[in-house]
Amino acid sequence: MLARDMYDFRDELNEKGIIFCYSGYITEAILSGIGSALKTKLALEHEERARTRSLFAVFVEQVQNVIRYSAERIPEGDGDESDELRYGVLIVGKSDDKYFVSCANLIAQDDVARLNKNLDKIQSLDAEGLKVLFKQTLKGETPEGSKGAGVGFVDIARRASHGFEFDFTKVDDTHSYFCLKAYV
Amino acid sequence: MDNISIEQSERAPGVDFNFENSTFSLKGESYPEDVTAFYGPLLDGLEKHFEDLKGTKVSFTFDLVYFNSSTAKILMGLFDMLDEAAEDNDVTVTWNYEVDDDNMEEMGEEFGEDLEKATFILNEVAIP
Repeated sequence: MLARDMYDFRDELNEKGIIFCYSGYITEAILSGIGSALKTKLALEHEERARTRSLFAVFVEQVQNVIRYSAERIPEGDGDESDELRYGVLIVGKSDDKYFVSCANLIAQDDVARLNKNLDKIQSLDAEGLKVLFKQTLKGETPEGSKGAGVGFVDIARRASHGFEFDFTKVDDTHSYFCLKAYV
Repeated sequence: MDNISIEQSERAPGVDFNFENSTFSLKGESYPEDVTAFYGPLLDGLEKHFEDLKGTKVSFTFDLVYFNSSTAKILMGLFDMLDEAAEDNDVTVTWNYEVDDDNMEEMGEEFGEDLEKATFILNEVAIP
């Protein structure tokens, strides 16, 4: 029964083209480990260098978003960021000859509108528009609430040769669940 | 200033900063866990070096194959610093990218086009 259940689970992932699936607390060490396995897998399959790099870049930005921004964390509330864990789901797969990186995590309800607007804008831009926004963001002050350059989503959009999708679903009065799936 | 030499690692570039000769290079991949902790001391060292530097030949070479968006923000600041140093010095910035790596070529173009005083060289190199 034990093995059968797990085999069925594995089958289900396989059918969806899932190469890696991780659900849990995500750390920089996990980013390094999965990232390195991903690179090795693509190298073994003789995937093009440029495509491997783009997929890897999208993977890094997505995972760092969970590590930095997931609202599901221990300890709860604002505390010392050097000693905390943030929860998220990370999936890397390939279907219809397109790789995808999908990440999902809890976010504060108050952040939904801003994030939605930001992503809508990024999604509406063509390559030239993304290039301009990328540079503008790099040159500007780091946006409030951002721990990185605030340019991660723009970078994802530039690298995702087959675009990206995103979605929110309300979980309770104070939180929503956020998912972004990018195709390379 | 003491020279800075850091071996290339999986997530951080190799650093070779020779303050005596004013030759500097970054090589490899850059997505350090904490960009500020990695680049902070390097940028501080450069800033101090350029403070009173005049009439000197300065060379900065980038051999990067991948960097994340947090690193991009650091690089943007670094290019600004180099262009400022070029007001009183002969600064050459070389951006090497591997053959067919359109993304790194484009990044080089985007950073390089902002240089007003420094000389910029965009250079295609063979895959090692």
